[in-house]
Amino acid sequence: MRVYVIDNGGQWTHREWRVLKYLGVETKMVPNTTPFDELGEVDALVLSGGAPRVALDVERMGRNGEYLDRADFPVLGICAGMQFMCGKFGGRTDPARVPEFGKTTLHVDDEDDLFVGLPRQFTVWESHNDEVSLVPPSFDVLAHSDNCPVEAVKMRSRPIYGLQFHPEVEHTEHGYDIFRNFLRIVGEWRK
Amino acid sequence: MFDPKKFVEEMIAELKGSIDGRAIIACSGGVDSTAAAIIADRAIGERLLTVYVDTGFMRKGENEWVDRMLRGLGINFRLIDASDEFFRALRGVVDPEKKRKIIGEKFIRVFERAAKEFGAEYLVQGTIAPDWIESGDNLRDTIKSHHNVGGLPSDMKLKLVEPLRDLYKDEVRKVARYLGIEVSERQPFPGPALAIRVMGEATPEAVEIVRNACAIVEEEIERAAAEGRIERPWQYFAVLLPVHSVGVHGDRRAYGRTIAIRAVDSVDAMSAAYSKIPHDVLERISVRITNEMKDKVNRVVYDITHKPPATIEWE
Repeated sequence: MRVYVIDNGGQWTHREWRVLKYLGVETKMVPNTTPFDELGEVDALVLSGGAPRVALDVERMGRNGEYLDRADFPVLGICAGMQFMCGKFGGRTDPARVPEFGKTTLHVDDEDDLFVGLPRQFTVWESHNDEVSLVPPSFDVLAHSDNCPVEAVKMRSRPIYGLQFHPEVEHTEHGYDIFRNFLRIVGEWRK
Repeated sequence: MFDPKKFVEEMIAELKGSIDGRAIIACSGGVDSTAAAIIADRAIGERLLTVYVDTGFMRKGENEWVDRMLRGLGINFRLIDASDEFFRALRGVVDPEKKRKIIGEKFIRVFERAAKEFGAEYLVQGTIAPDWIESGDNLRDTIKSHHNVGGLPSDMKLKLVEPLRDLYKDEVRKVARYLGIEVSERQPFPGPALAIRVMGEATPEAVEIVRNACAIVEEEIERAAAEGRIERPWQYFAVLLPVHSVGVHGDRRAYGRTIAIRAVDSVDAMSAAYSKIPHDVLERISVRITNEMKDKVNRVVYDITHKPPATIEWE
């Protein structure tokens, strides 16, 4: 299975690469300026987080829009990756009412495929100035935290997922499980 | 998962192929650079010179410790005292990024001289992932310029070789354990050393205060860990703040500086939680610091911030 990480300049992009590598997936980090056609054969993409304030400097998100338009496979957007994704499909990102850095408690509202087998509540690590203020009409919200109503989303018609928190970080509980669940979704999609 | 044996074998083969002449390796005596030195030594042997620089910002007893450690490894090494040069370069400098860049450049100038004498054109460094991630690039913001990446001068002629670039500290420890070197469990210590544990100008006097405070923090925490009262944190140290406050010493007014104690638990330095050190351990540290350095420090605080939002070191 080949899952590439689109590098949006996050502090933890390389951690996403490491987790995928540890899970036995063929992976590499790819700059977000890479044209979709040059990605080659991939089974899924992870859109990393990054320093861009998605609503303000969207040009720094490179070709993420093109990947979302053309992907006929699962995509997981993390942090800025998710915020961009929501904006792209008709939602909105604004400065968070309460920005979250470090430790937060996640509440899972709908386990869907991404949170299968996990507790309804666990500790996750965050680092975001902005949050999704309007969820696209074609998306469902899967989780929230005490301060942020949109911590996880899923597109209803396509295997496109987004997380505001960072499953790739050591201090996040069940981070590997979330990636395993995503890879299971990818595996089923391939069939 | 990560296989240190496979990594070491592949890296030795790679370095054999990529270093065609002589090389020096910058070694601080920490886990990363010592592991890199051993791998490079296995790859090119006599063509490698290991260089340790005493910047003047090293911890108590560090120079002697590293000398003994490197001697024990049986590799070709040299200790260079450049402390005057470093202190001089940092005179009047308070901005943390400026400090880091000046230190990065100074290191390279020292290495360039050593490389010239040894006839080397390659510089091997123990750079690991957080170093280049936090230093920033055209995609990533600069969080802090690590001396070995963001602090490199643009006119540097030495060719860089960084065998551990994609690894994090936990993986480097596995490599070090596989290589059987004693530094494998040492706590992380930044390249700019105590210069970035003094907030503000790193004068010899200020560095001496934080050096003693770091030694006390290490002694007390390691004692508590050895007695089984706490798990040894991932990293633990003292920071000298530029804040003065009022105290009372033997019925006389005191007006002294402030030390912050920092201890964190982490795996890879990319996220960290502050350690829940028991109060009796913190109390011993506080009493020792304020008694042993009564003329300098009259207040001690404990840092209870995670990373993010803070970083592990203060600068």
